Amino acid sequence: MTGPAALLSRGELTRTKGRFGAVVGALALIVFLVLVLGALADGLFYGATGAVRSTNATAYAFSADAEGSLIRSRLEQSDVAALAAAPGVEAAGPVGVLLTGGTGPEGDVDLAIFGLDVGGPGTPTTLVQGRLPTSGEVGVAAVDTRLQDDGIDLGSRLSVGDVSVEVVGFVADSAYQLQPSVWTSVEDWRSMRDAVRPELRGQPTAINAVALVTSAGADLSAIAAALPGSAVLTAEAVGLAIPGVEQQASTLNSIIYTTVAVAALVVALFFALLVLEKRELFAALKALGSSTWALGRAVLIQALIASILGVIIGAIIARLFGLIIPATVPTLFRTDTLIQIAVFTIVAGIVGAAFSLRRLARIDPATAIGGTL
Amino acid sequence: MNDSGSLLQVNDVSKVYGTGHTAVTALDQATMSVDQGEFVALLGPSGSGKTTLISIVGGLLAATSGTVTLGDIEVTALSRKDLTRFRAERVGFVFQSANLVPFLTARENLLYVATLVKTPKKAAQQRADQLLEELGLADRAKNLPEQLSGGERQRVAIGRALMNDPDLVLVDEPTASLDTALGRQVVQLLRREIKDRGKTGIMVTHDLRMVEYTDRVFEILDGHLTHVESPSTLGH
Repeated sequence: MTGPAALLSRGELTRTKGRFGAVVGALALIVFLVLVLGALADGLFYGATGAVRSTNATAYAFSADAEGSLIRSRLEQSDVAALAAAPGVEAAGPVGVLLTGGTGPEGDVDLAIFGLDVGGPGTPTTLVQGRLPTSGEVGVAAVDTRLQDDGIDLGSRLSVGDVSVEVVGFVADSAYQLQPSVWTSVEDWRSMRDAVRPELRGQPTAINAVALVTSAGADLSAIAAALPGSAVLTAEAVGLAIPGVEQQASTLNSIIYTTVAVAALVVALFFALLVLEKRELFAALKALGSSTWALGRAVLIQALIASILGVIIGAIIARLFGLIIPATVPTLFRTDTLIQIAVFTIVAGIVGAAFSLRRLARIDPATAIGGTL
Repeated sequence: MNDSGSLLQVNDVSKVYGTGHTAVTALDQATMSVDQGEFVALLGPSGSGKTTLISIVGGLLAATSGTVTLGDIEVTALSRKDLTRFRAERVGFVFQSANLVPFLTARENLLYVATLVKTPKKAAQQRADQLLEELGLADRAKNLPEQLSGGERQRVAIGRALMNDPDLVLVDEPTASLDTALGRQVVQLLRREIKDRGKTGIMVTHDLRMVEYTDRVFEILDGHLTHVESPSTLGH
């Protein structure tokens, strides 16, 4: 690093620390804010959609009027066989869903009960402790790890109304609409449903949806055609169709993008001022034979370093802040999101600084001498 | 070398700002030649056109008409990009207020201009140290400009002007921000460096006391350049 740009940027960064400290500090705060918002967005998204993301199902079939909502959909047990026979379907299994309150060893808990043919389509793939119920087994359930915060352990009993199941395993990242999930048999789910929703009693063959394992490239509309009055969505689309998920994600993402744009603006203003302030010096350096590009590179190197430092410091503060956020606030600090936000911020910093290059190019070296006329 | 044998040849150079009835002639058919090893003064009140002249000579400003040649280079024919390189390689500038890079040390200020012509690092460091030594700044090499006195700063600027071994050194009012004694010291030093190295120097000044250190004096008034025989003929 011995070029003119390197010499200038190194000198300025190391000898005017206070000034760069200010812009690095501003960037760090912005990155901190964006990362916390990102963690909140991820926390909401993953907390809402875990139950449809963390299973072996690749698609779900609904009643056509359900608009992709597991809760709203109504199908019959017999529909499973019709869909299983559809082209591109490797396996199909019933899914019953019930959002309800239940009772654990330490009191009331919010629950999302999933009744399915455990082992078949729709079975969670994120078992972290214990075991899943086996096919046909009743009176047992695997539950989301979030319930461990409510004092639930292997062997604990969870009851809904007068129906109770024994916890035999824990699965990770499987919440549904921010409620911890309980994975049990269709029979147990139906008993719980009847216990809390008496109006649904007498529908012994009703289920909510059908989980499907489809072959690669399967035509979902062709599958839906096998069951008149049904609609088929990919598991990913089902996640987005959960009420509020898409809206939350787009609201938080627009706040995040706006904040990143503010970062670009902060860097742009900082370097615009810096270039303005050094107009006389830059004119002299141009007179001495520095090209605009050599001086511009120095500005860009400084912006790059300031942005990288801002990202590192902001990320550290955000992670520390993550440790003190109460568990009731759904946050999730993901490395993917961190990398994405880091790249955005650094690009924004460079783009912001690039605006001052035009100003730099307009500086006339002739102004270094006397008063031109 | 050009036809006349002088290193610097300025032929009929004019500079007109604006057009039509608002046109202002800053420089009117200026002609001068300066030999290698000569140190000349360019005198004139402010607004007389002396800055315009050295800006054109130094490749900072385009002439409206006329030609400037330095050695075998026709400066007035160079493109903008070539002018940048020409200034880095062939011209040394000493500005009115030293205009050093405030966040680089005295030594780094010299090394900076060496990077513009891609001088190998070792050679550049040796030359910078040697120049600082000659200019009596060896013990100030690691100081930032703000830690130097006005005279020291101007000496660093002289070192920077000589760093790339230019043919031509252009000096703009070097004593403007110095007291008389210090001003004399700086101009004496400039003369010595220019003479010892066989450079060609032009110093713009309006300070008559400084012309005794120069070989010849040109005077410029309202854009008209005239050659004054020798410094001693100037009335005091």
